[in-house]
Amino acid sequence: MKVLATYNIKGGVGKTATAVNLAHVAAAEGNRVLVWDLDPQGAATFYFRVKPKVKGGGKAIVRGSIELGDAIKATDFDNLDLVPADFSYRHLDLWLDDAKKPLARIRRALLQVSHEYDYIFLDCPPSISLTSESVFRAADALLVPTIPTTLSLRTYEQLDRFVEENPDMVRELKILGFFSMVDRHKRLHRRFMTELRTAHPEMLEGTIPNSTDIERMGVHREPIGSYGKGSRAARSYESLWSEIQTRL
Amino acid sequence: MSKVRRYEVTAAGDFASVLAVLTDHVGLQLVSLEEVERSWLDTAAGTLAQTDTTLEFRTPKGEGTASLTWATDGRVLVHDSCVAASAPVEAGELPESAAFARLARLIEGESLVLGPTVHSQIAVLACLDDEDKTTARLVFDRSETLEGIALPMLLEVVPLRGYDSEAAAIEKLVRRSVALSESATPMKARVGNATGTPANSSGLSSEMSAASAWRVVLQQLTKSITDSFSGVLSGHHPEDLHAFRVAVRRIRTLLQDGGDVIDPESRDRFRHEYRWLGDVTTPTRDADVHLLEFPELAALLPQAQRDDLAPFNEILIRHRNECQSAMVTELRSIRRAEFGSAWLEFLSNEDAWTGCGELSDEPVLKVVIRRVEKAHRELVKNGGKITKKSPAISLHELRKEGKRLRYLLECFGPLFDQEALATILRPLRDLQDVLGEFQDTEVQGKALLELADELATTDDHSALLAIGGVVEQLAMRGSTARNEFSKVFGRFDDRKVQRAMNRLEVTKSSGKKKR
Repeated sequence: MKVLATYNIKGGVGKTATAVNLAHVAAAEGNRVLVWDLDPQGAATFYFRVKPKVKGGGKAIVRGSIELGDAIKATDFDNLDLVPADFSYRHLDLWLDDAKKPLARIRRALLQVSHEYDYIFLDCPPSISLTSESVFRAADALLVPTIPTTLSLRTYEQLDRFVEENPDMVRELKILGFFSMVDRHKRLHRRFMTELRTAHPEMLEGTIPNSTDIERMGVHREPIGSYGKGSRAARSYESLWSEIQTRL
Repeated sequence: MSKVRRYEVTAAGDFASVLAVLTDHVGLQLVSLEEVERSWLDTAAGTLAQTDTTLEFRTPKGEGTASLTWATDGRVLVHDSCVAASAPVEAGELPESAAFARLARLIEGESLVLGPTVHSQIAVLACLDDEDKTTARLVFDRSETLEGIALPMLLEVVPLRGYDSEAAAIEKLVRRSVALSESATPMKARVGNATGTPANSSGLSSEMSAASAWRVVLQQLTKSITDSFSGVLSGHHPEDLHAFRVAVRRIRTLLQDGGDVIDPESRDRFRHEYRWLGDVTTPTRDADVHLLEFPELAALLPQAQRDDLAPFNEILIRHRNECQSAMVTELRSIRRAEFGSAWLEFLSNEDAWTGCGELSDEPVLKVVIRRVEKAHRELVKNGGKITKKSPAISLHELRKEGKRLRYLLECFGPLFDQEALATILRPLRDLQDVLGEFQDTEVQGKALLELADELATTDDHSALLAIGGVVEQLAMRGSTARNEFSKVFGRFDDRKVQRAMNRLEVTKSSGKKKR
């Protein structure tokens, strides 16, 4: 089992779209995949048309009083399951803070279902908090969508610094940054991409375009590979997934 | 998660009229409607049936491409809607994907046998909630044999994980709207019954004597060896050698556990010869694995280091060719030829299989269950002794014990209660995967370093450094496997598995579990 977290300190960079679409691509290849929506906005839950209701509550999962497996819902896609989020997830930091060994809580919950899945995607809320630190401890890799703009680049640098300064917390965590919502017609985007790639050659080659096809996920409430199979955006997630697999 | 509920449709009316009731009256959404020719594949020993899975090959009536679906209890594990027009016979012919690779590992190089073909109309329907989310799937199936025998229409309710109550509700509604009678028999078994091809085509039955059953399985395994032999000699496809070696290992297990069943003198002789046969093929198989896995391992290195590995790749190819050539010499030797003919003669000689041992005339199930229980006990006992400090050799020995249990279960699989068998085999295979990964990475790491010695005599230090990187990757994989051991062993050494061990035996009269 590999745990991949879509993460960025900044919001609105395409984290949820990444988690949902990559999970869909991975499942279509025949891998057993779980998405755990950790974001109180519940966007991944919405995209899969699952009701934002957590059996027993997210708190019970984090505290270990119910098993993660009991909260799992099948999506409409073969081999692809979801742990939905509800609005109570806004208290996730508090639940973790109240628990013993908070940083190990998410990892421990995942271990209960590790034999059932090849890949688990954690869709994280934006911020750097106890939740994100627990995610860092649980994940094998962070997938960091980054818009080629000044603010996004700044947050990428912040994350990079945090990881560098906290080697004990992140252990063997891989940081896999990639450009998201890219508009190649914008000179500024092209310039920032060149600059960041020079500073961070470890960034993934694959990019996700700024595309209305992706925005339509909210209308269709499906991964793009389901309603827009073969589109440029769908293909970009497929090639990003191929590249990620070679890095894991 | 609930199991699939299966019903025979007893309502008057044809497929179309029942389908109309399901969509118009019950309000189910039609997801797909297909008219196909289909058949099911499995190994001769029924490996897929033993794991509660089915592999179905469909060709559409009219235009379209053939499809292949591996499923368990109504749930798709992997589906490829665009495969070759003829059904795959070998693992190498399966589509390329992670899940089909898992299937290939499961059948371990055994050939796939195509069952009888039927014409089918299949409708998949979905029950949707107010968010248009599927909460249950229903599969409505009408099939007839090529001879025109119509089978009863079947309706399956497949609950989705987390939606058990919704599935129960729709099931209730459907039962109120369409006349149904509950039935446990899936379409695959119905087709088998209708065409006179029972699900168990292994030639085994629990009424057989131990010696006869041993002989049947050994004959099947010998056929696998014969089928793959020319491929092994040509060396074009590594899977031929793999299939050959798996059959050899299984024969060795049956000979090892054939005490008091097989004539002792022949048993000793052939155990010795099969061990030799396994040994002479090992270096080539190892070399095949180095070559097959090397690109994947190399891909984990930075691009510059990957390029440095080119000279080493040449060494690997040369080494593999040398191993192949040495193996072919042994396989064409007089020893192999004499042993091969003696073995075939032994298998075909009726007299050699009657009254040849103390237990040879005992019912096979009684004998084999005893052997399985012993192998299970030893595996549990020795696995429980493994700690983080245990030497690697203890894990290697444990792997051998696991193989012994697995092969006994698989070779005589059709005789056992299939649900109990699946409950045991699942965690056992996981355990074997982890032990295999641990041993393979260790053996491979050592072998690569030995081969790299050749580079040490040159000035190509960059290649040596890159190989160091590859060996490091292997060590990491090995260490991950080692860390996973206690978890997977815990799943095997579990009350559920123990209970399933007690349910393996099925009485012939009632079909109910004996213990």
